[in-house]
Amino acid sequence: MEKTIRQREIRKDNKTAQAIVRALIYIILTALAAFTLIPFVWMISSSLKLDREVFSYPMKWIPETFRWENYSLIWQKVPLLTYFKNTAFIAIVVTFLQTLTSSFAAYAFAKLNFRGRDTLFVCYIATIAVPWQAYMLPQFIMMRSMGLYDTLWAMVVLQAFSAFGVFLMRQFYRGIPTELCEAARIDGLNEYGIWARIMLPLSKAAIATLVIFTFVNTWNDYMGPMIYLTRDVNKTVQVGLRRFIQENSSDYHLIMAASLCSLLPVSIVFLCLQKYFIEGIATSGIKG
Amino acid sequence: MSLGEAKRARARMSRTERKNTLVAYSFLAPNFLGFAVFTLVPVICAIALSFFEWNGGDISRLKFVGFENYATIFNVKKVSQNGLAYLFNRVDLGIALKNTVFYTVITVPLTIVCSLALALLLNKIKGAVAYRTIFFFPYVASMVAICVCWSFMLMKDGPVNQLIQAFGIPFNKSWTADSTMAMWSIILVSVWRNMGYYMVIYLAALQGVPRELLEAATVDGAGKWKQFTSVTLPQLRPTTFFVSVMMIISCFKIYDVVAIMTDGGPGRSTKMLVTYIYDEAFVKVRYGQASAISMILLVIVLAVTLIQFRSEKRFSND
Amino acid sequence: MKKMLSALLAVMMMASLLALPALAEDQVLKVVTWDATTTPYLIAQKEAYEASHPGVTIEYIDVASQDYGIKTTTMLSGGDKSDVFMVKEIDDIIKWQAQGFAEPLNAYVEKTGYDLSGFVGTEKNYCVEDELYAVPFRSDFWVLYYNKDLFDATGEAYPTNDMTWDAYADLAIKMTGNGNYGTHYHTWLSAVANWTVADGVNTLADKNYDDLLYFYQLYQKLEDAGACMSYADLKAAGLHYSAAFANGNIAMMPMGYWYVSTLIGYNKDGTCNFNWGITAVPHADGVKAGSSFGNLTGSMINSKSENKDLAWDYISWLGGEEGAAATASVGARPAFVSENVAAAMASVDGFPADETSKGALIPSFVGMEWPVAEKVADIKTIVNEEHSLIMAREITPEEGIEEMNERVAELFE
Repeated sequence: MEKTIRQREIRKDNKTAQAIVRALIYIILTALAAFTLIPFVWMISSSLKLDREVFSYPMKWIPETFRWENYSLIWQKVPLLTYFKNTAFIAIVVTFLQTLTSSFAAYAFAKLNFRGRDTLFVCYIATIAVPWQAYMLPQFIMMRSMGLYDTLWAMVVLQAFSAFGVFLMRQFYRGIPTELCEAARIDGLNEYGIWARIMLPLSKAAIATLVIFTFVNTWNDYMGPMIYLTRDVNKTVQVGLRRFIQENSSDYHLIMAASLCSLLPVSIVFLCLQKYFIEGIATSGIKG
Repeated sequence: MSLGEAKRARARMSRTERKNTLVAYSFLAPNFLGFAVFTLVPVICAIALSFFEWNGGDISRLKFVGFENYATIFNVKKVSQNGLAYLFNRVDLGIALKNTVFYTVITVPLTIVCSLALALLLNKIKGAVAYRTIFFFPYVASMVAICVCWSFMLMKDGPVNQLIQAFGIPFNKSWTADSTMAMWSIILVSVWRNMGYYMVIYLAALQGVPRELLEAATVDGAGKWKQFTSVTLPQLRPTTFFVSVMMIISCFKIYDVVAIMTDGGPGRSTKMLVTYIYDEAFVKVRYGQASAISMILLVIVLAVTLIQFRSEKRFSND
Repeated sequence: MKKMLSALLAVMMMASLLALPALAEDQVLKVVTWDATTTPYLIAQKEAYEASHPGVTIEYIDVASQDYGIKTTTMLSGGDKSDVFMVKEIDDIIKWQAQGFAEPLNAYVEKTGYDLSGFVGTEKNYCVEDELYAVPFRSDFWVLYYNKDLFDATGEAYPTNDMTWDAYADLAIKMTGNGNYGTHYHTWLSAVANWTVADGVNTLADKNYDDLLYFYQLYQKLEDAGACMSYADLKAAGLHYSAAFANGNIAMMPMGYWYVSTLIGYNKDGTCNFNWGITAVPHADGVKAGSSFGNLTGSMINSKSENKDLAWDYISWLGGEEGAAATASVGARPAFVSENVAAAMASVDGFPADETSKGALIPSFVGMEWPVAEKVADIKTIVNEEHSLIMAREITPEEGIEEMNERVAELFE
């Protein structure tokens, strides 16, 4: 009797403790979120200022007058719409190719035994380690000779086969129990079937991750488009943004406004895909 | 088992092996072809270039120089006269190496801890969608805008210093214009920007931790912390391997934050390997030397990766 | 003067006659440059050239100014065939010549009888072993900008074209107060210490930097007196000098001539509405008044261009009197110097009307910001690195200068 009362008390204590912990978590998260957002608040405020107001010192968080016209000005000053279209094209095609080919290749690296596997994999990683600045010139000369210079396809082939995707997917596939594949093999499924029927459905979270990363990286890439795209009709948003920074003047208010606009599509992609992070293996009824 | 039988078995083995290899290659081919043509070949060219003198003109101007580029960047003559300290205090390469390693050693663990903590806090909690999106924001925003914002945040009378002063620390200097704080401002911006990115990877990986294992641990009377160290962390090992390798590589390749915020300064206090490579390749047009510096980067990163690769294998064999 | 002009005109007619057969049908000349859509002189030049050369279209290939070096180097190394590349930094042309990208021009000069005397020797900066590789079209020297309204308010006399650095410093301190700064230094080395080359003897590649000491001490004196914003703040905020001066609380600012057209633009669109003027930069004791330093902008023919004769016609036009008139018409300063051009510059709508400002248009001497010299790119890096340490007060000017001397000497060991 005494014992059960004590247990009940402990449980009650536990409950209040849990509530406190939860409240603490929310407080920490909110503080961190505020810290994360402060620069963005300044970004929004700057995007509504006059150019010379942006850097007025001491800093002002609230603009003297809200210049909403900055947001229409950016579309007039540079062909931002064209830039958005180009960037969207590159990002979508690259993301599609990257996800498809990487998950395919990653399956071989994670679940198949073949000669030269580890060497090849190290080759993939090694290329990630070489900074782009070092091999940019040979790559450029090659792309030019293929007639890809100043075409959107240059950016597509440049980014669609990166080693990053293969590496990411391989690590996720390694986490999926090999017994599953073996069971499927015994059931008579061939390797392509295993990839399509078992690996793909199980790696939704991983694929969502890769899609987000590829999309964001392609969307925000600056150096690649800067080097490979020359004509105005081919430029991307990030290159377009820098057009507000000129040799003898820089319109930081417009840069902030345009940056905030370019944040939107990527955030939407993220919001759409993030539900896959909460549905994972655990809910697909697979035992570990 | 007779000799003939063994032979036949081996033949069968090698036939299935060959078939396996063929299947594997068919999986690899679509990615590998693109990868080989557009990345691997240029990288191999860059490796070769480190043994040549080339100022970017026609290919006919390539001149083989052996290890001379390496001797130049290490300033072997002076270093052999004045000792190793000279390399790290006076020679560009030594300074860049020192700075890059310092940056990496601080940034990698800090980012891993922050991103894993965020992922754990945000795993299965109400309102997570909003928080997740907020923490991912920094990674999504354009680099120029972010760096300009942060330079302003870190000014003499900026909000960060005001916060620090509120805690009673009398710090009153612009971060990016101070030799010691400039490096910390780069670290701060990097961690701030990347923690949301790696948080996403950890979140995705956390979905793969079988609930049954966690429940089993709870039944065994394990507390939250025990559950974390004995179940969650080991289950996250492939991801941590991936995250740490990727992060070490990207830290060694740090370029844009430095280029926009400090441009390597003040003095040489934030000069990094890649800013040095950029300078050699595109300001001084000495591609041979630029490639040689990249090779040093490659060797370091490869060594670190192989060590991690080994330990990954050892753990997975356990 | 008249003689020279008529000779020039004759040359130009000859040049256009020579080029005529090539101009028979519509042609496009690809010109690689930066900030093409917003730089007024590029727009004016294109209009003027196309008007006087029917059938030719100038197509600008626009590169972001901060990436001009890397992008053009990559383009050229990759075998790009664009006809003309504009030369942003003087040492670019040395690089391009060494790489074999720049077409040697002496033969063209001879063939068309092109007169180089209008460049008063500045074209020598584009020569390698007496062979010309580019034609200058813009030459920016540094002047002192001042805010007339602030001077009127305090009753101080305006700065003059003949002022020493010490007198300038005193004036700057007098003008400080009530939220106003006496002067403004942008973070560049050129804004603070480059003045030493105005004597025509010193250069920044002469391996001895002791002569910079005076200017660093002058700067620190002003910063200590609160007469200018501190370097650390400017660097951190990335405050642009154009916005700083336009804010209206800065009395004086040494800056390149290109800022004139920016200010005229600001006056027109209402970004700022105070009166301003220019004077020659102050001079050190023993240096002639009106001495300054500057930089050249020019254009070169790509050796892989398939239309070199037309390209020559364009770059020689750009540098010559007609191109100079187009350049000057929007307030930029052409490399080609003549009284006509100076008059054209002074008559630009919005240029200050006082005599001092007009007098500042023809400097007595212009040294080169950075000379053409061996290993100049390496020297630049070193001097700038030490500059940033001195300016951030991490080290004293004496220490910084000793480091410059030592590290530059090491380059040549």
